[in-house]
Amino acid sequence: MDIQSICQAISDSSIGTQLRQSTYVWPAIEAVHVLSLALSVGTITLVDLRLIGATLRNEPVTDVIEQTQPWTIAGFLLAFISGVFLFWSEAERLYPSYSFRYKMVCIVLLGVNAIYFHQTVYRSVDKWNRSTAIPARARFAGWFGLIFWMIVIFLGRWTAYNLK
Amino acid sequence: MNLLPLFQWFDSTAISNIIRDSTYIFPVVEVFHLFGLTLLLGTLTITDLRMLGIGMRRQTVAQVATQLAPWTIGGAIVTIISGFLLFLSEAMKCYGNAAFPWKMWLLLAGLIVYFLVQLRITRPESRVHPAMLKVVAVLSLFCWYGVAVAGRAIAFV
Repeated sequence: MDIQSICQAISDSSIGTQLRQSTYVWPAIEAVHVLSLALSVGTITLVDLRLIGATLRNEPVTDVIEQTQPWTIAGFLLAFISGVFLFWSEAERLYPSYSFRYKMVCIVLLGVNAIYFHQTVYRSVDKWNRSTAIPARARFAGWFGLIFWMIVIFLGRWTAYNLK
Repeated sequence: MNLLPLFQWFDSTAISNIIRDSTYIFPVVEVFHLFGLTLLLGTLTITDLRMLGIGMRRQTVAQVATQLAPWTIGGAIVTIISGFLLFLSEAMKCYGNAAFPWKMWLLLAGLIVYFLVQLRITRPESRVHPAMLKVVAVLSLFCWYGVAVAGRAIAFV
């Protein structure tokens, strides 16, 4: 059984079909997806902007990261869960879409970027916490996040237009 | 007041036709609408949460609000300009749409709350009762998330 037919089975399932045919549930889920995206990517952007030295320069890096983290995680979980349901409702159309595939790859890369940042340069944050001279590797993580989250939003919107 | 001629005029401008005739301009403009919205809602939410006393508590309200204001305003400018272009290309669709007036009134309310009230009461020198900060923050969240929900609803009602 290839992935395409698995995706076909997912969207043919009773939940997938009901989602697709619903008047209110599907738009409601999509609204949740967009709002939670604003919350998670918005707060991530704030951290990234602090890392590249563009805003909140007077505040310690740890203050910005630790205090936005619960909102970022809550927003991401909501976006992820609502995204799963959106995928469920049209899996067989999304799987072959290149913009959808690239979007998934970018999200994985962003996850790697975040983990790498936390495991390496962030461990020595005490040395540059209050500084505006931020290590190049931390600035790189910031720029990476800014650029790739924009690409994710772009690809997500592009997918809806089916412009492979 | 009958707004139909106004909407018809918006619908028939040269820009409206250019956007409608192109396959790519509308999606590209809409992507910018989403970029701006993310920046606007993200930074505003953090400011509102600080005013409510449930986020960024190690910083003062003024520290958060004044440093984020340029990003909120920048996001608002990008969102509004791109939104206006999207509107031009489908003004007649908006005219008959039940969600569109809601979005516009909530947007107006949100702009008033932000520029006339929120920006003033979050300055370092301003002395307002914490309860006032909370009321304004709730109003702000209601207006702006309302704009986003009503905006998304335009495509479905």
